[in-house]
Amino acid sequence: MADSAGAPRPSSSVKLVLLGEAAVGKSSLVLRFVNNDFQENKEPTIGAAFLTQKCNLPQRTIKFEIWDTAGQERFASLAPMYYRNAQAALVVYDLTKPTSLIKAKHWVAELQRQASPGIVIALVGNKLDLTSDNAGTNGEGEAAGGDEDARKVSTEEAKTYAEEEGLLFFETSAKTGYNVTEVFTAIANAIPETSLKSARGPGAAGAAGRSEEQRVNLNGPRDPNAKEGCAC
Amino acid sequence: MESLGDTLWDIVICGTGLQQSLLALSLSRTGKKILHIDPNEYYGGPDAAFSLQEAEAWVDRHASISSGVFRSASITKPEGSAGLSFSRAYSLALTPQLIHARSKLLSQLVSSRAYKQVEFLAVGSFFTFKPSTDPEQKPTLARVPSTREDVAFETTLSLKAKRGLMKFLKFVLDFEGETQLAVWQPHANSPFNEFLQQEFKMDAELQKYIITLTLSLDGQMSTRDGLAIIYRHLTSMGFFGPGFAAVYPKWGGISEIAQVACRAGAVGGAVYMLGTGIKSQEISDNDIELQLTSGDKVKTKLLVQADDKTEGTFSISRLTAIVASPLKGLFESVVEGAPLPAVSVTAFPAGALQTEAGESYEYPVYVVAHSSDTGECPAGQSILYLSALTTPHSQDVLKKALESFLESVGDKQIPQRLFELHYEQGRGSVESKASGLIFTLPNVSPSLAFDDAALDPIKTAWGVVMGEDASNTEYMAFPDREHADEEMSDE
Repeated sequence: MADSAGAPRPSSSVKLVLLGEAAVGKSSLVLRFVNNDFQENKEPTIGAAFLTQKCNLPQRTIKFEIWDTAGQERFASLAPMYYRNAQAALVVYDLTKPTSLIKAKHWVAELQRQASPGIVIALVGNKLDLTSDNAGTNGEGEAAGGDEDARKVSTEEAKTYAEEEGLLFFETSAKTGYNVTEVFTAIANAIPETSLKSARGPGAAGAAGRSEEQRVNLNGPRDPNAKEGCAC
Repeated sequence: MESLGDTLWDIVICGTGLQQSLLALSLSRTGKKILHIDPNEYYGGPDAAFSLQEAEAWVDRHASISSGVFRSASITKPEGSAGLSFSRAYSLALTPQLIHARSKLLSQLVSSRAYKQVEFLAVGSFFTFKPSTDPEQKPTLARVPSTREDVAFETTLSLKAKRGLMKFLKFVLDFEGETQLAVWQPHANSPFNEFLQQEFKMDAELQKYIITLTLSLDGQMSTRDGLAIIYRHLTSMGFFGPGFAAVYPKWGGISEIAQVACRAGAVGGAVYMLGTGIKSQEISDNDIELQLTSGDKVKTKLLVQADDKTEGTFSISRLTAIVASPLKGLFESVVEGAPLPAVSVTAFPAGALQTEAGESYEYPVYVVAHSSDTGECPAGQSILYLSALTTPHSQDVLKKALESFLESVGDKQIPQRLFELHYEQGRGSVESKASGLIFTLPNVSPSLAFDDAALDPIKTAWGVVMGEDASNTEYMAFPDREHADEEMSDE
């Protein structure tokens, strides 16, 4: 019920999963968001189970638990546990590569099939720095060469699709940081209050609040009344 | 992205059952080049958990099969599709196993940090089925006292029986002590129930309690094994909190652990391909060339696979039923401060059920009930996993057991059955085989509780991959991977 009444700014954990074709910049977007960092020619993702980052909203704090595909998307081998209880998803495409939008649409369909019904999905066209309308770039000497516009997916096309499917939509540059924070803030704002109450548990289940009294803590005996269920 | 054939793999693992997945986890921080494939489109192999649709597809493939681990599969829906929720609201475990708190599987999941992504639930009460002697009365379930406190507060046992049970529990807690050894060693290989009768003067009723706690499918275990299993149960009791001895991973049991372990493998750089098996292999001196069903040709220094052949005639019959009732009475915590259990176990002792022909069925039948808190079914429903040693009548006996069980737990109404999955599960070799560049893990054990013996071959395989490095590397012990600092804020 009203479990967080009175706290100055309630904090909730939100599981966010990343999806999209290889090399569209999924991990780069997250690294920009989490560490405000960008690495040129980054190796395919190795080494992080998930990253966490807080997002402060006026009314509450959202703590994103960001899950990377760890490459398991390459041969369509993501496990059900990846989608399980995800409250948000970032579906990324490369706006210089039309096939990556097709792939993104495939992932949106997969999310609609596999994920909880209330999941918030954001469609993100990345690599805006490679286009001529690159707001906020200061990139000099790009690999693509000069001022050439490498954009192959129009804003209109992607935006129309996002509207049809009820997705949030952004164009970003992980390289310059343009619009990156905005994506996460928009997701944080879009997550319905009701799905934050019990953090975990499939959307509709009426068992809110019970899960904490049931979970067994394997890491040594602890106060069974301890409220904090987060593993971090 | 480079193609699979460009790499000389250190190891190709085929299959994503628990053993192969744990192997991938154990190698996940070694920098080895690992290709992990599975001919199935799903994770978990024999440990998988299925949605209704996946279960139906699986049954189609295993309906008329007479060899292999799983066979004679069928589905019945007594009510049509009425009452069932959508397919993915279910997660039916093929080989559900509870895990004792003292199992090395759990300590390895903790030391490898993989446990953080699994939610563990408590396995609560054990019951035995008591048929009704009066046709006007329905049968009942009797809670099995499994700690000395339980025994003390138990109200249906005679004082003499209590004393015998207390004495036995105390004995088991130190069964490897010198005095105790002297008592049981002469009986080590003889049947456990005879030992209980001779040394502890237990009557048939008390013997049933003890045998229930062993979860033995044939009810014929030796005294040596019986004592070890009861010891495991008693020492696990209270280990992770009051009132329970075993846990069950939410969302489908062992399947969830397999998925988490594979993800850890992927995070460590392993490449994952579902729906891909091995078509043919060509072995040379230092490597094996594998032709995959995906069309790729890969070279590896070692191939690890699981044995999918069965050995002998041992087989268990399974019946998994979705019922339209939360069966609340089965999932109550009986000890203060205990987590609410999501699993309970009921045994029909040997001889409690009869075949169609009226002969008594001579083995125990187990009903492991899962509440919707396991995430395996929607709220308001439960899943009953029944198993019994295969005989010509075992499927009938399982149906009878299900009916009697529902009769005993129903209040005014007998809960409705919505979906039933029937199949048989054989047992394979119990030993791993290493021959040249191929390592074959043993077949999954169909027991109802996870057996730590399944972990040994994984460590052996790990040792083969690690070679000389095995001696200076701690097995399954990793530091935390998430070191992301939470102090940074985006505002």
